[in-house]
Amino acid sequence: MSKEPKHIAPPTSADRFLSLFCRSELLEEVKGDLHECFGIEQEEKGTFRARWLYWYHVLHFLRPFAIKNKRQNSNIIIMYKSYFKFAWRNILKHKGSALMNVLSLSVGIACFVFIFIYLKGELGYDKFHQDADRIHRVVIDLVESDGKILPDATTPPALAPALKTNFAEVEASVRIFPGWGTKFLMGVNEDQKFYEEGLIRTDSTFFDVFSFPFIHGNAETALNNPRQLVITRSAALKYFNRVDVVGEVLTVFSMRNAKVKITGVIEDVPENSHFKFDFLTRLTFRDLDDNWGWWNYYTYVKLANGADVNGLQAKLPAFYERSRPDQDNYAPIYTQAITDIHLKSNLKWELGTNGNMSNIYIFGALALFVLLISCINYLNLTVAGSLKRMKEVGVRKVFGAHRQSLISQFLIEALLMVIFSVLLGGLLAEFIFQNTADVLGKEMSIVDSENLLVFGLIAIAVLVVGLLTGLYPALHLSSFKVSNAVKGIVSKSGKPALALRKSLLVIQFAISGVMIIGTIVVFQQLRHLQNTELGFDAEQVLMIENANALSSQETLKTELNKMPGVSEVGATTGVVGGQNWTTTIGYPDEVLLNYVVADPEFMSVMDFEFVAGRNFSREFATDVQGNNIIVNEQGLKELGLSLDDVGKPIPITKQNDTIRNGSILGVVKDFHFTNFKSEIKPFGFYFRDRPQSHLGIKLSTANLSETMSQIESAWNDLANGAPFEYYFLDESYGAMNAQENKLLNIMSYLTFLAIFIAFIGMFAIANLTIKDKRKEIAIRKVLGASTSGVSNMITSKFLTLVLIANLIAGPLAYLVMQQWLDGFAYRTSLGVTVFAIAIVSTLLVAWFTVGFQSFKAAISNPVKSLRQD
Amino acid sequence: MKGTQLGEFEELVLLIIGVLYPNAYGLKIRIEIMEQTGRKVAIGAVHSALSRLQDKGFVKSQLAEATHERGGRRKRLFQITATGKQAIEKNHELRNSLWNKIPDMALKGLNYGGSF
Repeated sequence: MSKEPKHIAPPTSADRFLSLFCRSELLEEVKGDLHECFGIEQEEKGTFRARWLYWYHVLHFLRPFAIKNKRQNSNIIIMYKSYFKFAWRNILKHKGSALMNVLSLSVGIACFVFIFIYLKGELGYDKFHQDADRIHRVVIDLVESDGKILPDATTPPALAPALKTNFAEVEASVRIFPGWGTKFLMGVNEDQKFYEEGLIRTDSTFFDVFSFPFIHGNAETALNNPRQLVITRSAALKYFNRVDVVGEVLTVFSMRNAKVKITGVIEDVPENSHFKFDFLTRLTFRDLDDNWGWWNYYTYVKLANGADVNGLQAKLPAFYERSRPDQDNYAPIYTQAITDIHLKSNLKWELGTNGNMSNIYIFGALALFVLLISCINYLNLTVAGSLKRMKEVGVRKVFGAHRQSLISQFLIEALLMVIFSVLLGGLLAEFIFQNTADVLGKEMSIVDSENLLVFGLIAIAVLVVGLLTGLYPALHLSSFKVSNAVKGIVSKSGKPALALRKSLLVIQFAISGVMIIGTIVVFQQLRHLQNTELGFDAEQVLMIENANALSSQETLKTELNKMPGVSEVGATTGVVGGQNWTTTIGYPDEVLLNYVVADPEFMSVMDFEFVAGRNFSREFATDVQGNNIIVNEQGLKELGLSLDDVGKPIPITKQNDTIRNGSILGVVKDFHFTNFKSEIKPFGFYFRDRPQSHLGIKLSTANLSETMSQIESAWNDLANGAPFEYYFLDESYGAMNAQENKLLNIMSYLTFLAIFIAFIGMFAIANLTIKDKRKEIAIRKVLGASTSGVSNMITSKFLTLVLIANLIAGPLAYLVMQQWLDGFAYRTSLGVTVFAIAIVSTLLVAWFTVGFQSFKAAISNPVKSLRQD
Repeated sequence: MKGTQLGEFEELVLLIIGVLYPNAYGLKIRIEIMEQTGRKVAIGAVHSALSRLQDKGFVKSQLAEATHERGGRRKRLFQITATGKQAIEKNHELRNSLWNKIPDMALKGLNYGGSF
């Protein structure tokens, strides 16, 4: 006999796996072949590869012919099939309650998933940057001479380079200089040009701090020289209809026809970036690095690995004082983590519209509430429904069902219901996403790998809850004695279960109450804001942008004034309620004054109400000079002047140690030019008789569309091909309350759903209670009780529960909403009516659900009820 | 009828069973196929084909005596049945008759790289 080679067996795990699935009658020959084959391959290719190949061959037996057929003669399978069958039959039998159950749970799931994913998006802002935890924004507040501090996001241009040179912790720093509302006319050639707002001028270190993935070009060199441009994918497509545009040249017509060379194409700025742009180019202003006087740059730093931001923070004030020895007052200088900016920073001049942390909390709480209500509902309905099946359980036991199989049956039913609900909930959530894109201001979908994962996790959580819910009736029902169960005698231990159900109902209605009150308060506040006198007339005011592009603004004005639909045309540098400039004036105490430059016609377009003095006038040559201004009442007050000073020359500012005089030509009534969370601030108007960037046109109501087309053609005649861009002032004012509008929208949906779910819950519980009391009702009627008396008896019990719920909800909602309202400078008051509405509406819902059923029970024939059993 | 059709791979397996008679079993068939055709075939594929052939009644099988070489596991030996033989014969005849019907013209010029 030849000596056998050292035998190494094929992997046993593979063998075990094979035995698991392979039919037993095939196993011997298959294993024999596989082992023999292993022997051959081991000699040819070595043990390692042979073991891999062994697995390969084993897996190749996963074919229908070789896999065990479990369907036949397996008791377990047959039993499970029957469970599913019975579960299905039972659902069909109680279509109504099953539908309610699935519906209420799926609505809860949908709400939760929807809000959860939305919040995840809100909380995930700016996390896409590599090392986002090391990126911070450095901001310096503004301080006025009277010590008043104005939180402000902007910093002087010298700050960023100084930070880099002075602190070892700072690995890279970058300045961002946005367009400040400027629209740059850019294009490939004269024929193809667009106005672009999304141009950011920045330093070459931009990509050292931020990560925006490059499609073409190189982050290292893309901004090394001036006249280089990095553009986003969609900008590239817009101008060139392709993405690979590195080396192409764009002309910026509004920057003296500067030609910029494209050196990089990046992916579009993600939705969840707190600043957005389409074009990046280099800052080219001179002497920026020593300039501490301009306040229009944003400073971002990336810290070195392991550097402590708190340490840096502590050194910043001293550093700032060293850098600016000439100052009397030093404003607070501090850092903000980039990931916190979207939700937690609410400074003046933010780069974009930020979210609001308190709204996040409110949404989160609401989502939890709705999910909680619907889970409670599910629990209540399931328990209630299963108690009706006492006899079925009894009969099953008589036929020899083990306790375990009864438990399995109930669990499978619960599982089926929950799976339906989860699937329906997912569909609903997707439906909500599709229909709320405009409310949320962004497109979202559940069918997104990351969101799908979230949904999966939530689904698993709900499944577990569902199974736990199924467990209660499963254990409870299967524990009865056969004889009692068949007779339908429920043990006396029903009391605590009933108490539990009642307290769950109270919780549901308390939550609904809080939500109703909350929604009404938000609604009232919004109404209050919308009805607040703006202090001017924003209706029918058309704002035209880029009026500087006109060859002659005067001509257009004359043309427009000829139109019957136009009552007044005025020019201005900014929009009241949009962007305006600020300056400091006042002597001896300085005041921060928001201002625009406007002409007398613009003042009448806006219909400002003069409290004292007069409008600008072209008849007074001095109106267009120096510090001759119109201010609002708040401005007059903060300047320390009285109405008597109007029209007189007064010292108004100090420049280079010379006190300069100016005069207050007129005072207008206070008006709102920022959102209503802040108090009215000083505002002023200067008059310079020259073309301005914006035209305000007051239209008369008749024939709006005709007037619009007339205006547009007049524009086109004079605008040298610049596009006609306009908006209505009242619309842009409406946008100031966007956050609150969004909140109200989402809240009213959720409140409606919460009431709906609570309604279903109460309906089901009432139904059950009345069935339990059938005999009691019958006996009472036999003894002479009236229909209304009997029905009131039942209804009043439920109404008491709702009242208790409202007593809990009232104070809770009061506290929460009081705090929310405190965030507004102009707020509505919390009246009694709000609470009355909540109480009455929940009582009505309860009365309607219970009253109808109890009335039906009360008018039924007592003989029928008594004869049963 | 579909059930009595012979797939290409099945035909190959059936022929090899004939070739290997009387010692045709799973692994040996696989090795033979690999040697004759140069195709890479998994054992599972061969077993699957064998099981289909048996279902169609083209082969019959029996377990052989246990031997030591496979750790005492028995082989299943396959043998062509009469229907199996008919099936390959039918295929063979069909091919031959089709081959003969191809006009010379169609193949003219399609030489094997040699010269005329």
